Amino acid sequence: MNTIQPEAARIMVVCCPQLCGLADTRAGAQMFDQVLAAVTRFCPGVEAVEPGICAFGARGPARYFGGETALARKIIAAVADIGLEPRVGVADGLFAARLAAQGPDRVRGPRRVGGPGQVRGPRQAGGPGQVRGLGWVRVIPPGGSAEFLARHPVSVLAEQDLAGLLNRLGLRTLGDLAALPFGDVAGRFGAAGEAAHRLASGHGFLPLAVRPPAEDLSVIQEFDPPEALAEPVVFAAKALAERMHEGLAARGLSCVRVQVRAVWADGRESRRLWRHDGFLSAAAVADRVRWQLDGAPPAAHDGEPGTGGIAILRLVPDQVVRATGHQLALWGEAVVSDRVARAAMRVQAMLGHESVLRPVPDGGRNVGEQVTHVPFGEKREPRRAVAQPWPGRIMGAAPGVVYPYGREAEVTDDEGRAVTVTGRCVISGEPAHLVIDGEPMRHVTGWAGPWPLSERWWDPVAARRRARFQLLTVDGRAWLAAVQDGRWLIEAGYW
Amino acid sequence: MGRMGSAPAAIRPVPVGVPEFPGVSGAGTLPVLPVLRELLPRGGLARGSVLAVAEFGLLCLALVAGASADGAWCGIAGVPEAGVLAAAGLGLDAERTLLVPDPGDAWPQVVASLLDGCELVVLRPPAQAPAQVRQRLEATLRRRRGVLLVTGDWPGAQVRLRVITQGWTGLGDGHGRLRACCAEVMADGRGEAALTRTRWLWLPAEDGSITAADPADVPIADIPAPEPGRVLRAVSGG
Repeated sequence: MNTIQPEAARIMVVCCPQLCGLADTRAGAQMFDQVLAAVTRFCPGVEAVEPGICAFGARGPARYFGGETALARKIIAAVADIGLEPRVGVADGLFAARLAAQGPDRVRGPRRVGGPGQVRGPRQAGGPGQVRGLGWVRVIPPGGSAEFLARHPVSVLAEQDLAGLLNRLGLRTLGDLAALPFGDVAGRFGAAGEAAHRLASGHGFLPLAVRPPAEDLSVIQEFDPPEALAEPVVFAAKALAERMHEGLAARGLSCVRVQVRAVWADGRESRRLWRHDGFLSAAAVADRVRWQLDGAPPAAHDGEPGTGGIAILRLVPDQVVRATGHQLALWGEAVVSDRVARAAMRVQAMLGHESVLRPVPDGGRNVGEQVTHVPFGEKREPRRAVAQPWPGRIMGAAPGVVYPYGREAEVTDDEGRAVTVTGRCVISGEPAHLVIDGEPMRHVTGWAGPWPLSERWWDPVAARRRARFQLLTVDGRAWLAAVQDGRWLIEAGYW
Repeated sequence: MGRMGSAPAAIRPVPVGVPEFPGVSGAGTLPVLPVLRELLPRGGLARGSVLAVAEFGLLCLALVAGASADGAWCGIAGVPEAGVLAAAGLGLDAERTLLVPDPGDAWPQVVASLLDGCELVVLRPPAQAPAQVRQRLEATLRRRRGVLLVTGDWPGAQVRLRVITQGWTGLGDGHGRLRACCAEVMADGRGEAALTRTRWLWLPAEDGSITAADPADVPIADIPAPEPGRVLRAVSGG
């Protein structure tokens, strides 16, 4: 296998922190469109990374405009005219350049920068320098990316699960991770670890040279009549992206950059390149289509029917890499076939996104918690640790019927008195009769419990104490019941 | 969705799909767990057919589990209380399961859509299905060569299954915990399924699977007396 690193590409990232939080607003998207137009005047090959952030190869333009810092200042001045304060980072590779641009104090979302490894930037290399009081630029010199990255905490990695795990293992910075042998990391953490190690060592994400595809792998969807609303187009984009991925997968390829082209019925066209650090999933492509359409001139939305709508949507995977085991299937996730995805999405179109769910076995002490339902199309991952022991969980057979909400019930003893449970988990009498939700009374022939469970006692809002029972009724059925706040609830049925 | 109206819907009762390969899980059937084979006329779920199970529960999930473990996608519509964990214990692959807890009034369309993607659809109709709706769905089913498992009543069902009696072991008066359930399952139907068959099953057995039971050692309606060590373990384990 060809493992020669391609010469590290100098990447310039322009980041507009004001727009990053406005990802899904039209105003933000339109402003970002202006930013892209402004940056494109300096370099034609500008790629959008996500709302508020764009990137391009800096080598050529920097030479033309007299150096990277000079180019960055020109871009900052141009973007400042729109009314924004951009931050520019230049480094080897997109990952380092993006961190350089986002800087120590403006890292968004779940990413945190902290600890002793605070990045102040190599001043000797010309940055970070204030430019006319608006925005700033930080240049990481060629070959200095690994050193720059080493001080960042692992939480800057996009894979938050992996970052958390690395943290617990004592690998707190990217430098710690990069110091480990590549083979060991790949062997222990699989493809995700391999990718993280590459990023941390400043090699960039891509193991092999990126190349344009040899054949036309684009997919196209025509809307007849033209679609005036963005939502159905985004919806179609998901299926379209799925199709594109299938075409790519059949050739053993993955896509790292995609061009989204939308053509309106009145002839206007929007083209944009979207780049991703990892691999673009179908849902990720659909997100990017939405961002792009949001930024499109508003004529599309308030125009008269028939002229304003989108007629053609085309996805062109214009940079592909050989797929090296990054498929979801590697982690045991069943690959959703096109056929199933179409069926599920058709139901979602009828009833809404949340109507089609995929179950995920989850951790937890109560039967209702042990399965999480994830809307189709979203990432299936358990919320709680499945492998932990969860003391207090009821062992033995699992119930075939688990009610989404506990059903009100009354449990009485032989003399018809309600059975109660004290704070010390002592019951007032033996359960003899069970009435569920007004159904006919059932005689209780066997029971076990109470099994106390005190959950989240440290949190006054979420805390709850309950005593659980298994009840056997004369009709041969068995029930899982719980007493909480003096009320009996039937949570599940064993049949 | 023009496909629903176009098929000849009048040939409802004809048993569909001549088995291309006579055998347990040939192309004409979806496989079921081995212990359930004897209950079904062709040793599996005949493609294009409707099965009716009297009530939603482990029997229903068990019928689905074999096909799901074999790689089939399974849709469950109208059953918000499906116990996925128990089903997974029987062999259902949760990754290849779609749940539509509340299909609402559009349930015939939802089921038709699900049948496009899933080999197997479990349905509890929110309301009694009119004959016309049923016939259309059956036509879709034959065309898609899927299997519809209805919980409740479905007049055109080829096979009907229900649990006649069941009894749990392991629970005493204030001690123990549920361990295993012995159930008598009856299957009948129309055509080749007309012969009534009954089987005793552990539904589930202590290890969560389904196995054949011997009526002789079935403790119906009273709690068995297992060896003393087991009771102790049950108490401490609960």
